Amino acid sequence: MTYEIKNVWSILLRLFHWSLVLSIIALVVTGLYVNTPWTNTTLEGSVSFPMATMRYIHFVAGYLFAAAIAVRLFLYIFGNRQERIWDILPITPRNIRSFVTTLGYYSYISDRHDPRLGHNVLAGSTYIVTIVAAIFQLISGFYLLFPEAGFWQGLGNGIFGSQQQGRFVHHLLMWYFILFAFVHVYMVVWNDVKSPEGLVSSMINGKKFKHKNA
Amino acid sequence: MWCGAFRLKRAGNPLSGPVCQRRMTLVDHKKGVIEEMMMEEQAGMVKLSSSVSRRGFLKGCSLAAAALGLSEAMIPKLLEAAESAQRPTVIWLHFQECTGCTESLLRGSHPDIGRLILDIISLDYHETIMVPSGHQAEKSLHDSVEKNSGKFILVVEGAIPTAENGNFCKIAGRTAMDILAEVGPRAAAVIALGTCASFGGIQAAAPNPTGAKGVQELLSGVPIVNISGCPPNPVTFLGTVLHYLTFKRLPNCDKMGRPLFAYGRRIHDHCERRAHFDEGRFAEEFGDHGHKNGYCLYKVGCKGPETFSNCPAARFNDVDVWPVSVGHGCVGCTEPDFWDTMTPFYERLPEVAIPGTGIIADADSVGKKILGVAAAGAAIHAAAGIIKSKTKKG
Ligand code: HEM
Ligand code: SF4
Ligand code: SF4
Repeated sequence: MTYEIKNVWSILLRLFHWSLVLSIIALVVTGLYVNTPWTNTTLEGSVSFPMATMRYIHFVAGYLFAAAIAVRLFLYIFGNRQERIWDILPITPRNIRSFVTTLGYYSYISDRHDPRLGHNVLAGSTYIVTIVAAIFQLISGFYLLFPEAGFWQGLGNGIFGSQQQGRFVHHLLMWYFILFAFVHVYMVVWNDVKSPEGLVSSMINGKKFKHKNA
Repeated sequence: MWCGAFRLKRAGNPLSGPVCQRRMTLVDHKKGVIEEMMMEEQAGMVKLSSSVSRRGFLKGCSLAAAALGLSEAMIPKLLEAAESAQRPTVIWLHFQECTGCTESLLRGSHPDIGRLILDIISLDYHETIMVPSGHQAEKSLHDSVEKNSGKFILVVEGAIPTAENGNFCKIAGRTAMDILAEVGPRAAAVIALGTCASFGGIQAAAPNPTGAKGVQELLSGVPIVNISGCPPNPVTFLGTVLHYLTFKRLPNCDKMGRPLFAYGRRIHDHCERRAHFDEGRFAEEFGDHGHKNGYCLYKVGCKGPETFSNCPAARFNDVDVWPVSVGHGCVGCTEPDFWDTMTPFYERLPEVAIPGTGIIADADSVGKKILGVAAAGAAIHAAAGIIKSKTKKG
């Protein structure tokens, strides 16, 4: 068999991806700590500041997360062909076909595989949903961080209501990201096993392997 | 005299260190003398109860100035406004409520604040404390609205039920909705006193059978300020009234219509237990080591991090306490829908109700279950794939 190496993901997209991974891991761990601080310093004057430190990491990771989302939104419009939103939005006939084909492929109904370079549309659609969830997570996060700032107060209040409601949504969305991460990793590995084209490594070196005559 | 009585009260308060110490030494060395002093001071306070002394007046205004965040230089201006001959007419309407706001204002252990307010306003109609009743009372409401149209301050206490044409609350045969619709638009400004008048309060808790609403949802075209709280702090109310008298307008408000001088900051950001929060020292349950040592109440459900109010600074009842200072978490009473969103009071977040299943549980146990289902799904999916490829080969 002969393969062809294709450049698929730009360096910016890969940076986005790994920033998101890193920030989500940090945010989930520190976020869970903020919700239920599992340590309890009974020693006074220990100057360990676990809660302050966890919150600090959460906020730094929050900014990284925000930056990553901004980069992805930029790439949806100005990225390469695979990165643009038209490649994955399930509204064109070509994309709807990919969506249905992939559904059949994932559920073992058919062996037909969408051979496109970028995301298949089923995966791509869940990424769009995830970016939208991330935007809400951002807004609720900044609403909690800057409750007195007019801009965030207006936005947060309009979308979520009180601080407590914003916090509740923020917490529920955390579970969306945990679930997404789990399903995402499983599906990527599954795809890599089923149709070897270097899917996992493509997010590291940006390249995929394609059948020459496919 | 009054000041003496004040100090006497503080002496009994363990939080006020220096005064307390002074009392101790006095007790140690001249026991007899101090007891005499206390008697005298208590008698002084009884004497005072009929009117506000000059001292009480000054003190009330200073308290309000401090709450408003005004400098000392502004106190004479406040006094001038408070003492001016034209006392504003106030009409006070009670709707769907427990009267707790009035109670805490007038019958708290800080009588001067309540009396001070009654001194600087002309209260034309207030069902709890006015003398007339029946037709006479209705007449005085009507007369006052006519006479002071466009000039009076309207204070509303309690929510307004709107379901079934508002029939759930009627006064003199008229619904709260009707009364508010008639009196409200003719006021110069409206003060919604308490969480019920501001946001609906407990009456509006799900499923809100009477369709209870706060004033701001039903009235427009009139400046409205929300003094939320269950009950609100009398100092905040006094501050708002004095602000209006001094500057001729309502104070600046947040997005929910609450004055920023009192609701501009989260409880958590000026709580005396905050150092324990940052250092990760928590009460795990009531009565444990952490609780006895005054650690942060976050893990027993304190809603200070999501509640805007001046409780840690203004405090209550003239004995310098507020819930967190005596070991109970904040329940978030100044926030809209607090009966729905701040409960369970001893947990951090509300519970998740999964529609159609009757399941009500906390978010994390639901999340873990869903994650478990997803993991099982993935395992089945993987197994199906393996079986399929095996059978195909075979
Ligand atoms: C995937 C992204 C994120 C996850 C999973 C996450 C998770 C969490 C969790 C679980 C909490 C605790 C809420 C509670 O139960 O009380 C929390 C709190 C918070 N998060 Fe996030 N978060 C994320 C993104 C962000 C972002 C982007 C910001 C913005 C900078 C942010 C700012 C905050 C703030 C300010 C708090 C409140 C901390 C406190 O009051 O002590 N979060 N987060
Ligand atoms: S007791 Fe409540 S308001 Fe005070 S620091 Fe702890 S969580 Fe915050
Ligand atoms: S401490 Fe919290 S619950 Fe208590 S009065 Fe203040 S805002 Fe309301």
